[in-house]
Amino acid sequence: MNNKKSQEETTIDRRDFFKKAAAFSATALAGTSLLANEVTGEGDPAIMHHTKWGQVWGDPITTNLYGVPSPYEHNVTRRSTSLLSSGNFRASIAVTPIHESQGIITPNGLFFSRSHGGTAHVDPNEFRLMIHGLVDKPIVLTLEQLKRYPSVTRTHFIECPANGGQEWRGPQFNSVQFAKGFMASAEWTGVYIKTILEDLGLKPEAQWMLAEGSDNSKMGRTIPVDKVLDDAMIVWGQNGEALRPEQGYPARLLVPGWEGNLCVKWLRRLEFAVEPWYCKEETSKYTDLKPTGKAIQHFYANEVNSTVTSPSPEIDWSHLEDGATVEIEGLAWSGMGTITGVDISFDGGKNYVEAKLKGLVLQKSWTRWSIIHTYKKGETLLLTSRAMDDAGYIQPTIDEETKIMGVEAVYHRNAVETWEVTETGKVNHVQIRS
Amino acid sequence: MFKLDRKLIISTSVAAIALLGVGCVGGESAPTFSDGVNGNISIDGGVSYPTINGKSGNYFVNESHIGRAINNGRVPTDAEEAKWNTDVMAGYVYNEDPKALGLPEGEGSVEEGEALYEAQCVMCHGDFGSGGGGYPALSKGNAEDLQKTLTNNRYQDPQADGPTRVFGSYWPQASTMFWYIRDGMPHPKSDTLSVNQTYALTAYMLNINEMSIDGQEVDDEYVLDRAKFLKIKMPNQDGFEPNVRGSDSLPGVRAYYANPANFGAHKVKPAERCMTNCQETNATVVRIAGEGISQFIPPMSIVRDLPEKKAETINVKEVYSNACAMCHDSFLSPGSAEWAGYTAKGIDKVYANGINGTETGMPAKGGANLSDANFKLMVDYLISGK
Repeated sequence: MNNKKSQEETTIDRRDFFKKAAAFSATALAGTSLLANEVTGEGDPAIMHHTKWGQVWGDPITTNLYGVPSPYEHNVTRRSTSLLSSGNFRASIAVTPIHESQGIITPNGLFFSRSHGGTAHVDPNEFRLMIHGLVDKPIVLTLEQLKRYPSVTRTHFIECPANGGQEWRGPQFNSVQFAKGFMASAEWTGVYIKTILEDLGLKPEAQWMLAEGSDNSKMGRTIPVDKVLDDAMIVWGQNGEALRPEQGYPARLLVPGWEGNLCVKWLRRLEFAVEPWYCKEETSKYTDLKPTGKAIQHFYANEVNSTVTSPSPEIDWSHLEDGATVEIEGLAWSGMGTITGVDISFDGGKNYVEAKLKGLVLQKSWTRWSIIHTYKKGETLLLTSRAMDDAGYIQPTIDEETKIMGVEAVYHRNAVETWEVTETGKVNHVQIRS
Repeated sequence: MFKLDRKLIISTSVAAIALLGVGCVGGESAPTFSDGVNGNISIDGGVSYPTINGKSGNYFVNESHIGRAINNGRVPTDAEEAKWNTDVMAGYVYNEDPKALGLPEGEGSVEEGEALYEAQCVMCHGDFGSGGGGYPALSKGNAEDLQKTLTNNRYQDPQADGPTRVFGSYWPQASTMFWYIRDGMPHPKSDTLSVNQTYALTAYMLNINEMSIDGQEVDDEYVLDRAKFLKIKMPNQDGFEPNVRGSDSLPGVRAYYANPANFGAHKVKPAERCMTNCQETNATVVRIAGEGISQFIPPMSIVRDLPEKKAETINVKEVYSNACAMCHDSFLSPGSAEWAGYTAKGIDKVYANGINGTETGMPAKGGANLSDANFKLMVDYLISGK
């Protein structure tokens, strides 16, 4: 096509477009997305007219030198609810939109955030980390000194142990963001605490480590030395950049696979001792009351778990045509090992078939899985996923879990989740229990 | 250098390394099943992934720093350690070494505690610690009686009474309360209470939970000091598992999580897992009652459009509900006659106190992110009620 002809066509197209603009804009105003890909008149307006970004200068390269998402993505965001909040949203949680998440990495701005006294804004120049107690040589580190240690980079999820914890007695959230989004995953960079301890020398009688934050709640938790000497880290990097303030900038603890609450943010102090500390968040909360009246304390690992993320109540199948080939996709994760397989049921957990794992399968990490499905218009399904890990654990049914844990435990609920697809393709969060 | 004489840990983890080396390490093959016997489990009941031949699973690991001194940082001064080391331990072992326990000398009365509570705590924690202001309740009555509710479980009957988990009925140690009050309270200006004030508030907590120390009721006349504090026995101190008391509790913790039945977990060999007719026969589909919880901030939406331009002016009622109501609903509420006592000193003084915060509990701007001008609109609204 020569240039002249191209220009003529362009001109004609533009005239044509303006004539039709009134008709198109009526549809646009009615809220019908151009994503709909429907033919109107000669063709889809998204193809037939010139887009407003297609013929004018874009932003200079100096705009947004630190990039931000397209403004059109503004609804892909963390969300909170006052029912999970106290103290003017200072002791609260904002959860990750896992219905919109891709792969096994959460963008830093969407990483779920929980604080016990608000998000602290730490001046990195005044950051100090004290490591003391039962060590041969106590130390104080600046941020620069901390980052000088030989580092490791690992991909791990962090999950609040109350993920799903509002639903022990029945489903409450018709939303996968709220039912399962008290978690997110990132590639973390930091130093193994055992690397620092090689230098300091841990006294043989040391059994427990206190990790304490510098925020106004001085959030603290006690961790057994087994984990400290295994894979516990102090991290400063998150997906290739500094931690965000909501994730504990400039440094936080990362205890792979264990309760998110143990991954103390805005870290300032590690102390080693013979006995644990009985911190507020390991006694009054983060303990699992059983029907016996005894509560499990120091309940560390987030157990093997999974959920369907697509379809979801948020992004359902009501737009699908009969016979459409569609991918049912989800996440599986275990804080106790590596995902070895995921089964999917179409009848609420009566019968299962194996789903396929997708992408990287890493230790104590989100793992993607899917199954290809041919959608029949009008069909009703109960989609239940069930994951297994290499420690030998498998997700229990709701009945199996509540038989031992009762319904007052709040934390560590990992029974299978079920998503109902209705006749019209809507999706509802349900539970299958006796 | 790292001490390798840590027999407790090493004996377990060396065994784990030896066994895991066979199954889980060495290349990109899919992880294999391990049945969690013969000690190849970590303290949480899961597996650990040691580094073998420079790799842990799919990750390459550079371990060549091992054995080389890093000599980073400096030794803290005694004063620095004392400044930050303010935790208070429960002290099953440390009772023999009072300094290590971290509980300072001091004293405070229930009477002083109540006055402090009324001035700095009640706006959030409610009258007598009853909660209701969005913050946790601190008491629901007699601690010994309420401890007995911990076996309540709304397993079949949603109308039944649930367990009551407050300080007196649930917390295993009083040290937790003392430590958290001093370092974490009051929420908007923590770490401002003296040791004696902390004793006084702790005494008041024991009082409203109707507790006794060493057979003596913590009544309205009670004065708490360090010696008395060390004799506190919480009603639910034995209500937790696994045991973590004493100088050698980790073997018990490891044993607890080695048994999945203790914590509601299930193990199965993959080939033996149920694939057909797996669900209980009387299981039914349970749906969300009513709307469920759906008041999300912001409301749920998956639409791709341009965000609305934010309004330049604030909606005072909305800001009030998000940022002020938690405390001001019960104290100096919008349009309350109590405001007269404050406005008498001049509106500029009220504005300044609000903007800068006060000693008696008002956080600067109530913690809201507002310009001075918009904050003054909020003050006007609180005083006038419209």
